[in-house]
Amino acid sequence: MSPSVLLLTLLALSFAGYQTGKRRSLKIAGGKISELHSLPSFYGLYASLWCLIPPLFIVVVWLSLESSWLANSVISGLPENLKVQSNSDRYVTLNDIKNVVSGTTLGTQTDPAILNAAEHYRDLQQISRGLLSVIAIALALAGIYFSSRRINKNHRARNAVERVMTGAMVLCSTIAIFTTIGIVSSVLFEAIQFFKSVPVTDFLFGLDWSPQTAMRADQVGSSGAFGAVPLFTGTLLVSLIAMIVAVPVGLMSAIYLSEFASPGFRAAAKPALEILAGIPTVVYGFFAALTVAPFVRDLGQQFGLTVSSESALAAGLVMGVMIIPFVSSLSDDVMNAVPQALRDGAYALGATQAETIRQVIFPAALPGIVGSILLAVSRAIGETMILVMAAGLAANLTFNPFEAVTTVTVQIVTLLVGDQEFDSPKTLAAFALGLVLFIVTLILNVYALHIVRKYREHYE
Amino acid sequence: MNSLQERDTTLTKAMNKAINLDSPHAIKIDRDYKQTVGRITSTHARIVCKNVHVYYGEKQAISDLSLEIGNHEVISFIGPSGCGKSTFLRTINRMNDTIAGCRVEGEITIDETNIYDKGLDVVPLRAKVGMVFQKPNPFPKSIYDNVAYGPKIHGLASDKTEFDAVVESSLRKAGLWEEVKDRLNEPGTGLSGGQQQRLCIARTIAINPEIILMDEPCSALDPIATAKIEQLIAELREHFTIVIVTHSMQQAARVSNRTAYFHLGRLVEVGETNDIFTNPKHPLTEDYITGRFG
Repeated sequence: MSPSVLLLTLLALSFAGYQTGKRRSLKIAGGKISELHSLPSFYGLYASLWCLIPPLFIVVVWLSLESSWLANSVISGLPENLKVQSNSDRYVTLNDIKNVVSGTTLGTQTDPAILNAAEHYRDLQQISRGLLSVIAIALALAGIYFSSRRINKNHRARNAVERVMTGAMVLCSTIAIFTTIGIVSSVLFEAIQFFKSVPVTDFLFGLDWSPQTAMRADQVGSSGAFGAVPLFTGTLLVSLIAMIVAVPVGLMSAIYLSEFASPGFRAAAKPALEILAGIPTVVYGFFAALTVAPFVRDLGQQFGLTVSSESALAAGLVMGVMIIPFVSSLSDDVMNAVPQALRDGAYALGATQAETIRQVIFPAALPGIVGSILLAVSRAIGETMILVMAAGLAANLTFNPFEAVTTVTVQIVTLLVGDQEFDSPKTLAAFALGLVLFIVTLILNVYALHIVRKYREHYE
Repeated sequence: MNSLQERDTTLTKAMNKAINLDSPHAIKIDRDYKQTVGRITSTHARIVCKNVHVYYGEKQAISDLSLEIGNHEVISFIGPSGCGKSTFLRTINRMNDTIAGCRVEGEITIDETNIYDKGLDVVPLRAKVGMVFQKPNPFPKSIYDNVAYGPKIHGLASDKTEFDAVVESSLRKAGLWEEVKDRLNEPGTGLSGGQQQRLCIARTIAINPEIILMDEPCSALDPIATAKIEQLIAELREHFTIVIVTHSMQQAARVSNRTAYFHLGRLVEVGETNDIFTNPKHPLTEDYITGRFG
């Protein structure tokens, strides 16, 4: 029985268990459900959980141990000439055997010893799977029997089921945490690998970025320089331009929407603004590269400025437009949430609308506004597609917005596309950059939380 | 149904009686003042309301209300919930402007200026007619800044010493100085409910208004805080004209010279507080103050 069939069987059994448990509890109650401790469906769930969880546990453990056991016993059965091998050869042989088993050989002559081993492997696997099926189904049946034996009027099935459910919820909530830990540690370990060949200080403070390393010994040039400062300044420059666009425009539109616009206009304009956030970034990217960048270049020429055709300015402008809704929509929400009583208090003192907005509503909404801006900043720092298409790839160390710059995210993309070996500093540099990016966004988020909390004490 | 009709008849009778009253106070009652029993005029009137109607969209909240409020007078508005007393209060400093769909007809003048004149600027009006709300609403700023806010936007003080003086005198008048003088930089929202309400009164006093409107200023407070506010009103009446909306008849009796009884958007009866509570002329007023309904 293959694992998927086994799984379906177990599910069917657990459904049967549900029915058994429910029926048994009804029989015990004798028509008076109120005499039972729990509702009949809880007895049903109790039985079905007993029938499902132990076999599933066994299946998971069994399958995870099976492959290594199979490998060991097959390898030990091989003739002497194939047996004494290095680790990687052993891996290749094992792969050959598995390919024969699954029937995906590439038509080449196969060593008869391998064929034998494959036969052996298949037999062993069949035995193991058969055994597993028998054990799992037996456990499921035992579960049904055991649980329905335990059902009586005072049995607390609901509490037991709820305990299991709580456990399941805890498990789900930890998945996100463990995923984060997994991502961080994978980035961290690769970055440490990178820092073994390139010193941390060179990476963080070096002014040259040219990550081309020789892949073969006979390649010329390209010793590789991994000073990331040009990337940091590029990221900073583009984000700065984006924020210069997004913060004033976003805040002004938020103030207009929450304080001046009629409810009807607000209801129509807000979703329209939010559409901006729904446009795929790749669309923004070619809009920036094909429309805005040439326009900026031509405009610059009219003023006698030299603007390269891929400029930080064009990319930053478009990115700024992209993050307007992050600022405006959230800020509008928080300003709307400022209680009417505060507005009334200010108006009753003879404050004008402008004074009320500037001195009462804005400070009261400040934590939310700061939060929205920081959210926009981390979005800007992490943005990739627009920059790949419109900001350029040249790692110029410059603060001139008319020149092409490159950013951390763009370099991660370029380092990881195309031919590569995964242990060269060139590839590993991507992980180091990712780590820096992660740390910066983390600091931004922590700082945003700090500001929000600090002002919340003052303002609520 | 029957009793309602009865009441209407008595209402009309009482009105006729009021119109025919020939007491020295009952100055020429013409059509304008037909629905109210008692003395709606004042000898030194500052706020004069003539035939005021207030609508929220289609719904009429106040109908045909006429009333004069005198200088340095404390007048309280009483009546069951939804009778329009808060609505009327808000029309006096045009705070009803902030409510969408609110419309005022008729005439309200303060010191002979029509406050519903098209060209009128509400900013000086509201500086002159301060307001304290039902729920304390201090700004999310420090105690000092809460009080200094009004003087700042109206340019009533120019340097630190002047601001300090205004803040101190306002807090003293509001009876809060002793309690907060050591923590003026702490947020106003951290005070207790009663302290917050006195802070709001101090904030209103700081802009030196001539009239203070209070919309149920004690309804969110405990009895001790209420007593403090009432004592404060008794002190403030020397400097200000005070209009107070209240649900507590005892409070109205304690703090005000005159009392006005509202019912379903109409001003039913107005008169000296003592008269209203000891000798109500209108049956609706009598029912309300004796606790038969409301």
